[in-house]
Amino acid sequence: MTSTSIVQEALEEKLGERRQLEILLVTGRSLVQGMSMEAEGKRSRRYRLSASTLSLNPEDAQLIGVEKNSRVRVETEHGAIVVNVSIDPGLPRGTGFIPMGPWANAVVCPLTDGTGMPKYKNIPAKVRPTEEQVPSVEELVSIITGRRVDAHPVELDLREGEKKIIEDFVCPFCGDLCDFIKVHLNGNIVEKVVGACPLGSSKIRNYHRDRIVKPYIRSPSGLLEECTLPKALDKAAEILASSKHPLIFGLSSTVNEAIIVGVELAEYLGAIIDNTTVVCHGPTTIGVMEAGAARCTLGLVRHLADLILFWGCNPAEAHPNHFKRWVIEGGKHVKGRKDRRVIVIDVRRTATARMADEFIMVEPGKDYELITALRMAVKDLDIEQSTVAGVPREKIYELADALRSCKYGVGFFGMGLTMNEPRYRSLEELIKLAHDLNDWTRFTVVPMRGHYNVTGACQVSTWLTGYPFSVDFMRGIPKFIPGLTTATDALIRGDVDAALIIASDPVAHFPRKAVENLSKIPLIVVDPKWSLTAMIADVVIPSAMSGVEAGGTAYRMDGVPLRVKKIIEPPTGVMEDHRILLEILSRVRRLRGE
Amino acid sequence: MKSFLIKGGIVYDPLNGVEGEVIDIGLRNGVIVDPSSLDPRETIVVDARGMMVVPGGIDVHSHIAGPKVNTGRVMMVEDHYLTNIPGKMGLRSQTGRTVPNVYKIGYGYARLGYTTVVEAASPPLKTRHTHEELDSIPIIDKMTLILMDSNWIALDYISEGDLKGLAGYIAWLLHATKGYGVKIVDPGADLAWLYGKGYGIDLDTQLPEYNLTPREIILMLGEASTLLNLPHPIHVHCNRLGYPGNYSTTTRTLELSSKYSTGNKISMHITHVQFTGYKGSTWATLGSGGEEIARILRRQRNASVDLGQIIFGSVTTMTADAPFEHVLFHISRWKWAFADVEAETASGIVPYRYRRRNYVNTVQWTIGLEVALLTKDPWRTFITTDHPNAGPFTKYPRVIAWLMSRRAREEEMKKVNRRALKKTALPAVDEEFDFNDIIIATRAAPAKLLGLEDFKGHLGIGAQADIAIYNIDPGKVDPSRDWKIVEKALSRAEYVFKDGRIVVRGGRVVEETYGSTLYVKPEIPEDLSKTIVDKVREMFPYYYSIQYSNFIVDLSEIRKPREIPVKTLL
Repeated sequence: MTSTSIVQEALEEKLGERRQLEILLVTGRSLVQGMSMEAEGKRSRRYRLSASTLSLNPEDAQLIGVEKNSRVRVETEHGAIVVNVSIDPGLPRGTGFIPMGPWANAVVCPLTDGTGMPKYKNIPAKVRPTEEQVPSVEELVSIITGRRVDAHPVELDLREGEKKIIEDFVCPFCGDLCDFIKVHLNGNIVEKVVGACPLGSSKIRNYHRDRIVKPYIRSPSGLLEECTLPKALDKAAEILASSKHPLIFGLSSTVNEAIIVGVELAEYLGAIIDNTTVVCHGPTTIGVMEAGAARCTLGLVRHLADLILFWGCNPAEAHPNHFKRWVIEGGKHVKGRKDRRVIVIDVRRTATARMADEFIMVEPGKDYELITALRMAVKDLDIEQSTVAGVPREKIYELADALRSCKYGVGFFGMGLTMNEPRYRSLEELIKLAHDLNDWTRFTVVPMRGHYNVTGACQVSTWLTGYPFSVDFMRGIPKFIPGLTTATDALIRGDVDAALIIASDPVAHFPRKAVENLSKIPLIVVDPKWSLTAMIADVVIPSAMSGVEAGGTAYRMDGVPLRVKKIIEPPTGVMEDHRILLEILSRVRRLRGE
Repeated sequence: MKSFLIKGGIVYDPLNGVEGEVIDIGLRNGVIVDPSSLDPRETIVVDARGMMVVPGGIDVHSHIAGPKVNTGRVMMVEDHYLTNIPGKMGLRSQTGRTVPNVYKIGYGYARLGYTTVVEAASPPLKTRHTHEELDSIPIIDKMTLILMDSNWIALDYISEGDLKGLAGYIAWLLHATKGYGVKIVDPGADLAWLYGKGYGIDLDTQLPEYNLTPREIILMLGEASTLLNLPHPIHVHCNRLGYPGNYSTTTRTLELSSKYSTGNKISMHITHVQFTGYKGSTWATLGSGGEEIARILRRQRNASVDLGQIIFGSVTTMTADAPFEHVLFHISRWKWAFADVEAETASGIVPYRYRRRNYVNTVQWTIGLEVALLTKDPWRTFITTDHPNAGPFTKYPRVIAWLMSRRAREEEMKKVNRRALKKTALPAVDEEFDFNDIIIATRAAPAKLLGLEDFKGHLGIGAQADIAIYNIDPGKVDPSRDWKIVEKALSRAEYVFKDGRIVVRGGRVVEETYGSTLYVKPEIPEDLSKTIVDKVREMFPYYYSIQYSNFIVDLSEIRKPREIPVKTLL
């Protein structure tokens, strides 16, 4: 190394320190991230561009001298990652946003504080400009897992044929389960999807892309090798039967029929069975255990809600049809958008906030304080501080009065509340706020559920085991101990010795530590598409895409059960989830000598 | 399939007039057959000498499946921690106390010798969920009642006075949801609840939005189900449930039953009458209205009741009476869940604890027993605890012991609130049920009330082979004195046959089978059916947030559907 370069490096280092920005890092869903994930898959350029991006307030960006498409290094206590920059004036100073995905997970906080929910939001982070490259998905996953990333994506043969229009199709994307979709089919080509949002439409139209169509087993060389289905099932059963404490995870993007078999398999194996609730509304569900609930079905929002509150959720990007269906459309008593007051409370001015009548910006991580203050205001107690969570006291009194004086209020809430430091305490408090408000008027709070059947996964688990998620059968009886039996904690601590992942992608959405440990144990993946988890799996079993190639029951976020439909035949030799699980179950029974 | 011969048992079969006779019973292919027709080489003989042989029990009102039951499970997780039974021998693990998981419900009922249970209330929009949960409950046959009193489309018909239209709509709704009967819960209250009202409404309270009163709703729904000739009459949870002084609402509701009844048929079933049998004007002056209700009930031959008997201890109350649960939340001050369902109904859940020393709880305890003992008509008074509202169903043998033995009641009365007892008639009641009465109240009468007496609730040739055998000799045991023996024997059946298979032996579940789901299919004239479908299709997009076609529960979604055809009077 020459002396000039040393000097230059030292200079740059000094400059870098000066140009360092301290932020609170928030992660969450973005529209493009969701669409690209469903369409081209997670190895695509579009997904990479959207999910490996840190959004910053323009002034913050200027401070460290970065602009759109510059690269920065984001460093937290838990790791560091290089990402691109994008500028978002809707973000407050000192807050940065990375869409959920493997890049974000490299730096989020894996501690769940005994709730099962890692801290995906409000993580202190340092940002500085860098010349390093943004790693690709494959690079990132192989660095974290130490496994060779391998995928054999197939685009299904599309053949024109009989032209059909499927009416009242139920969209298998998000918890809104839009059931008025028209799908124009020509043979097995989805020609048009009418009524669905960009996310749902993307999922349905691109059902044929990035598919797993053959079973694979990882060979000693570290690559996936094609095999027959019976062989893959045998191998999966072998792994599970010889494990002491396996994990069955996912289930939220499949139908109840499969979940029922999944629970039976878990009970037989003495496994932990968990669904994605653990990293979305797990804290909400614990809040229900603590305080109860105040719910309504979505039709009533249309008929009655004259005040709608969105708290810590961004349906404009995560549930794009939500606003139109329940806020803009009118019902029996409230005739439409103009008769409703829409208030958004969030840490950043989201797309949803821009559609609202009023936006209240809360300091990141301070939602609990704000709810508590609101409860005080609703009870006419005096608030001593002049501002709470960045919101002036007068504003809180005013909001409390608005909540008390509406005729039928509905609060939708999302990850902004569940992923915070207080976890379920925020939700317990929010539910109690709704309870308090019902002494004045009618008020309900409804969680915005993400995966299309995550609600069903919770319901099935509850009636079969007594617990909605994170159920451990190790002792032969169902146990639910958040922080211990939760999939995240079990993985982070390395408590499980094999994993069956079905219809979910923990490698993309679990914190780095959990993914590291997941890669150390035998891993079976059942999925219709090449998820990141499938790419590092030991056994890959293709499945029919439920909601398109397989039918069954799914529950809307408000608990309304609907039947998703089979409209296209799955590829030859590809079974639906519940049959795959039944096959594995019967093989496991045989191996264990029954 | 194997056949069985139950030999030497002491048989109680009230529907066939058999009262404690030693009769052999043969079963083959899931039905009861003439014992002499059995092939001895293929027949297993069950020695039932000295044991009581009765039809499988039928519970007419229990909350075992559906959205509110499941929410109750989540809310009551603390119940599950210490109540686990691991799954062994091909069975699944059981958990929960007041709101157990599906396996504990199925096995639990089977152990008691019960083989048929009615889920008491399901919101139409979420009945698919109810069916999914019912499908997961092992062993028992089941069916679900459908909530209709605050249903906007039904109310449209009622306010137009269109009886035929209403009947047609009920037929459509029962068919669409694969339900079994009409449930009325605090009529009109959930409609008012949506507007922040509905607390303590009475029969003649004007309801918001519709120019209607609860009285009109009950009468029209009652008349319509009579017209439809439904096998089960309207199932009514009275107005003002849980409010002091509500017994008069109950008696006035009872009197409505004769307004539209035909012949001797029971035209109205009042459920968990204990909760609507309060005298007095405040909680402090609460008294028992049991005597009055019994008096009116004796006169109103077209009505029946079930008790909703209180069991001291923890419960989880859950009901479609949403406004009352809000009131109870202010009494219990712990947890509360409610859910409003568009265009249909609402529900509430509040955990509660009945305490012996509590004045109000003691009064409540006496009411159920008073009604049963003073009415003295086991054909029209059914034993329930409105599980899990007044107590868990697993305590039925305790209730039976109280009914059969004055001593058992006295034993309990020693421990309860003295001041409350003085205000009730129970200490002076000498009445005691005998075995036959109990079998009537838990088998024969429920089968008749559900219109299933052809194949359920009796042991005649051709009946479904659902049989319970208890290790107790009614000839030797005096239930009045040995009530503890009775309670113990009834808690753990020696044998239970479900569809001709042994599912319980020695008080243990030995095989997991799955029963059928019963639903009615009223045949209505085609032109009426078309008018109804047209109207519902027209209103559907306006009232509901899902599509008409996605609302209808298909038979393929139900594990083992069993249709009960209905010839209507339309």
